[in-house]
This record gives sequence, C-alpha cells and structure tokens, in this order.
Amino acid sequence: MSAPEKPVKILIIDDEEQIRRALTSILSARKYAVFAAAGGAEGIDAAIEHSPDLVILDLAMPGMAGMEVCRELRTWYFSPILVLSVKGADSDKIAALDAGADDYITKPFSAGELLARVRALLRRAASPTSPTPLIAIGELEIDFAQRRVRRAGQEVELTRTEFDILAFLAQNADRVVTSKMLLEKVWGEDYAEDTQTLRVHISHLRKKIEPHPSVPRYILTEPGIGFRFSTQ
Amino acid sequence: MVSRRAEKLNRFGYLIAFAFVVMATALFYPGREHFAKAQWALLYQLIIAFVASFCGVKPALLAAALSFLAWNFFFIPPHNTFAVNDPKDWLSLLVFLAVGVLIGIQTGRLRERENEALAREKETALLNRFSAYLVSDISEIEMGNNLIAEVTGITGANCIALFLSEASGKPAEFAATPGAVCQRAPTVIELVEWVYKEAKAVGLPDITNTPDATFSAWPISVKHNATGICGPRNEIFLPLQTSTRQAGVLYIGERLNQAAYSIHEARLLVALANQAAIFLERRYLQKISIQADAAQEADRLKSILLSAVSHELKTPLSSMKAIVTNLLEGDVEWNSDSLHEEIQALQSDLNRLNSSIGSLVDLSRLEASEWKPQMEWYDFGEILGSVLADFPQRDRARIAFSLPEDLPQIRVDFPQWERVLYHLLENALLYSGDAPVHVGASATEKEVRMWVEDEGPGINPAELHSVFEKFYRGKSAANIHSGTGLGLAVTDEIIRFHGGRIWIENVKPHGARFVISLPRTPPLESSK
Repeated sequence: MSAPEKPVKILIIDDEEQIRRALTSILSARKYAVFAAAGGAEGIDAAIEHSPDLVILDLAMPGMAGMEVCRELRTWYFSPILVLSVKGADSDKIAALDAGADDYITKPFSAGELLARVRALLRRAASPTSPTPLIAIGELEIDFAQRRVRRAGQEVELTRTEFDILAFLAQNADRVVTSKMLLEKVWGEDYAEDTQTLRVHISHLRKKIEPHPSVPRYILTEPGIGFRFSTQ
Repeated sequence: MVSRRAEKLNRFGYLIAFAFVVMATALFYPGREHFAKAQWALLYQLIIAFVASFCGVKPALLAAALSFLAWNFFFIPPHNTFAVNDPKDWLSLLVFLAVGVLIGIQTGRLRERENEALAREKETALLNRFSAYLVSDISEIEMGNNLIAEVTGITGANCIALFLSEASGKPAEFAATPGAVCQRAPTVIELVEWVYKEAKAVGLPDITNTPDATFSAWPISVKHNATGICGPRNEIFLPLQTSTRQAGVLYIGERLNQAAYSIHEARLLVALANQAAIFLERRYLQKISIQADAAQEADRLKSILLSAVSHELKTPLSSMKAIVTNLLEGDVEWNSDSLHEEIQALQSDLNRLNSSIGSLVDLSRLEASEWKPQMEWYDFGEILGSVLADFPQRDRARIAFSLPEDLPQIRVDFPQWERVLYHLLENALLYSGDAPVHVGASATEKEVRMWVEDEGPGINPAELHSVFEKFYRGKSAANIHSGTGLGLAVTDEIIRFHGGRIWIENVKPHGARFVISLPRTPPLESSK
C-alpha cells in the first residue's frame, strides 16, 4: 500500500486544529495527499473542489454538525466517509452509519488504528465487486474462489451461510459491518430484522474459526451496531 | 350516617311521642271496663319506654306527661274528667308520673349513649382508615382524592376542594370533587387565600359554650363575617398547617341539607385535615432531604473531581512536560534509541492520561445517572474479545483465559462491561510485572462469576475493602508509575448498576483475584 503511483486524496473535516495537524502529519507521511477543512460548509466546498478518495469527518463540530455534512455529502459523493466520534456516544455512531458514513473511529485513536481503518475503506472502495481470491489473516486462510477456509493449515467445515457471513466480514476487514448489511447480503432484504438468527450463526462461526472458541479475536462484536472482522 | 337518622328522629320525636300516646289511648279506651285502672297504667308505662328507646329523653318526657293526663282523664274515676275522687288515686297518679319520667330519662339516655358510641366508633374507624391510607405508599393526588371522598362521606357537601401551596407562595386548587366548580368562585378563592395567609379556620362551629370541648387541637377559628370578605355563609375553610409550615387549605362547600355542623362532625373534619397536613409535611421534608442528598452528592463529586484533576491528570502531564522539554532542550544530541525510549515513556503517560479522563467522564456520568444503559444478552467471551483487541500485542500475550463452553449469556450493557474488564485487566497487568494474568468464569443456578487474577503481590487484607473507593491507590502501588484507583471506582459503580458485586480475594502463593458476581436473571427474560 505504500507509495501509490497516483497519490490517494484524503479530505479531513475537523474544527480542531490539533487534530487536523496530527491527521495531516500521520497521513502525509504515508504519501497520501491531504486536504483539510475547518468546518462543515468549507469541507463540502473542498470535497467539490478536490473530489477526494476518502473523507475523514468529525461528528462534533460547531455550526454545521458532522451528521448534516455526512448526509449532504452522500447526496452526490460516493467514496468512503470515515467518521470521528467520541467514546460513549454509541447512538451517534449508529446515526452516522445511517446518514451514510462507512465506518467510525473513536477519539482518541492511535495512528495504527486510523491507518488500518483508512486502508480498509480504500481497499474496499477500490475493488467493490471483485474481491481478492484469497485472504490470509494470522493463522486463518479464506479462499473465496473455492469457498474454503483453513485454520492453521487445517480445513474448517463451514455451512454455506457461515461461509457467506465470513466472506462478507473478511471482504470488509477492519470495517464495521452492520447486522442489517450482513442480513441483507446473506439472507436478502426480507430478513433485515432477524438479528437473533444472525447472532446464532456468528456464534457457530466463531466456534469454528476462532483460536479460542469463546473469546473471539477475529469477529468482534460492535454492540448495537454489528460486527467487525479484525486483522489487528 | 347514624347521626343523620338520629337528627330526623329528634325532629319528629315529639310528634311520634304524641301519636303513640293518642293511638294507645284509642286502643285502650274500648277495653276500659275489662281491666283495673292500675293495669292500664302499666301499659302506658310500656308506651313511654318505647318512645324513650326510639326518640330519646325529651320526647319520652312528653310521652310521660301525656300518658299521665290520658290515664287520669280516661281511666281514673270519675271518667272523662281530670277530677279524682279517691285520694289514693292521687298517690297512684304521682307514682305513675315519677315512674314514667324515670323510665323516659333512663331508657332515653341509654339510647342516646348507644347512638353516641356508634357514632364515635365510626369516627374512629374513619380516622384509622385514613391514617392507615396515609402511611401506605401513596402520591399526593391519591391522598387528595381520598381526603375528599372521606369528607364527602361526613358532610354530604357536593363541592369539596383541596388547595395546596405552590412555589408562588399562593394556594392553588390541587384536587376537588369531580365536576364541582363552586370552589372556583372568586369569593371562595379570596377566602381560601385569606385562610392560607392568616392560618385561621373559617366556619367551624363555636366551641366556647360547649362544656366538653376541651381539646386544644381546635384551630383558631373565626366566623364568616369576621373575614371581612363576605357575609354569612355555610362553608368551612380549614387551614392545613403544621407547626413549621402552611401546606394548604381544605374547602368544604355548603351541605345539601343545609344542616349546621355538630361539634363531633367538625372535630372529625379537623382531625382529617390535621392528618392530611402531616402527610403533606412529610412529603415536603422528603423532597427537601432528597434535594439535600443530591446537593451533598454533587459536592462530594466536585471534591473528588478536584482531587482527581490534581493527581490523576497532573502526574502524567508533569511527566510528559518533563520528557518533551528535555528532548527540546537542545544541549544533548539524542540518538534514535534513546529518542525511541523517551517517546515510549510519553506514550505510557498518554495512555494513563486518556484512561483517567475516560474514567472521570464515566464516573460523573454514572453518578449523575445520565447513562442510559442498553441491556442485551452477550457471551462473556464476546465482550472479553473486544476488550483484548484494545490492548497492545505485548499485553495481550500475557492474558490467559479459561471459560467453560456452556457459560450462560449475561445481560449487560456491552460498552460498560467492556470498561469493567478493561479496568480489571489494566490493573492486573500493571501490578504483576511480567507475570501472566488469568481470566476465568463459572456459573451456578443463581449467578455468573467472572474473575481476573494476577500473580502480583496481592492486596493487604486491611485494604481489601477500600480498594474500590474513589482514588484509592494501594500502599504497595505508591512506587508504581500509573495509578488505577479511578478505574476501579468506575468498575465498582458499573457492576453495582448491573445489580452485581465485586470483591477481592488474595490467592496463593501470591496475587489478587477480582471476582465479579452477576445475578442470573430469570430464564423467562432470556427468551427475548
């Protein structure tokens, strides 16, 4: 991922100067082209001007609130939006996802966390339809073409549903996947509400692929929202 | 009520006495020749006794007098005249009168006492009922409605209203007989305000001439015309007052039957009003004490926050400032290894600062009850997994866990429970050097137990209980860089919030085990 030929453009919309500076420093050091805007309206103008590949948006801003900016951007902007939220404001995260954000990260975050989220979003945006044929994370190996999963070299028997869930989570690795998205993807639109069934399948899946069956390392729960496949 | 029937009997008592004697005479007259005159006298005495037992003393006396005349007129020879031939008959007549009067008085008194006793018993029962109601857990509006119902039962007035003092310092209508409007008449409101201000009752019967009215509890009472507001009326205005406070006014409109209030009725009304006032006073004091508690809690929190800011925040800040200024001093050439080391130190300070600020926010939110928990069923391991993801790889490698496969789910707020585990793990990692930290769980019918165990020095038995007090840092922690007193305080609050508890056990050969016990909610609830 380092040094892409044509620099990937990232727009930061945050009213706090220190955060803008820190984010700019982290991202420009990784050869991203960084633009920064100090407010909502200014941010939307910048998005029009630069058409960035990713927007990092602070939810808590004076004036035009982050949520509004997100909704407005989503009327014409289709690249990923990563939202910065504060700890404890879980309902804000859900609202932001509903408003069209692709993921969130809780302040304060480490550079590593931020970069993982940014890469996950860019990766997904770059190849939305044709996923990589094989993903290897830790001792887990997922072969999408052959629909097979190996753990520490050992073949793992998964049901069709379980594989579909795992595949969708892994293709969105390090990115939050809402229960609704998963249900729609695996079962179809009509099943979007049946989170209990989903939890049961996830639980089975965990027993099969996790190094420790009851303490998940890969498939983490995002309470009230969904799940996140962690590669950390 | 008994008293109302008795009143009716009193009013018609003389008439009944008269009618009885006339009818008896009409009945006796045809049989005059068959019995001796003395036998008729006995029958007349029977009539007097009847009247006495139904109508009381005074009608009985009338009956005795009438019977005396009728017996003399119709049955003592010469007949049909009041003249008496035989002087012995004079004696009979006098004895007849004396016995008649005695029967009348004794029987009538007996009856009156019985009625009186019945009425007192009802009053006592009513007061008992009302006071029992007041000590049960009822709201002010329930009390108001009940009071109005009881007063309606006593007075028969169709407009009764309770006015309570408002923040504005004026009494406002709080409860009233359903559908009644007369309490909103301007004159009534004016009088209510007058009574409230003067703390004097209006319209109670005058007790100055009542010999047995010795009760000192009688409120200062004035007549309607003494208020200067309007002329004579038949309503009662009772102030609800305790020694410290004026709680409101009870208004009782005119009675349907227009009858004047007896002392007993008035006394009952005053007793009810006093009980209501005591109830309101108690509520008022409760409210005040809750406010005082809240204020005290806020004060306590404020001082905690102050000490937290000075200790938990300033320590890492000072350290960071020292490191950074040292690096920027410019008099030393730093090689990249020592630079890296300094920055590592900065990061650990930062983590501590972050954790402390987070805990402070959590704590103040929890204590201000601003947290709206979202309780859901989760696997303990699921939460543990998310928490572990927050620790750096180096720490994660030190954490070992053994959870039974069939551990039941727990019903918790996920993010809060994450914080609990985070703080316990952070604490265990911090106090046990490089030794492993164990996480375990078990379940019984009644509870799920979760624990975090370290191989550190353990905790001084004398300190086992104070560890969870806010900002308490163990004595052995004095020389350790980072304090987690705040974190444990947050942990304790969250666990209590979930209905569970946490305690510490020292384990052998050395180390501390933090045990959380969470009650298992009934299986019915788990199905949803």
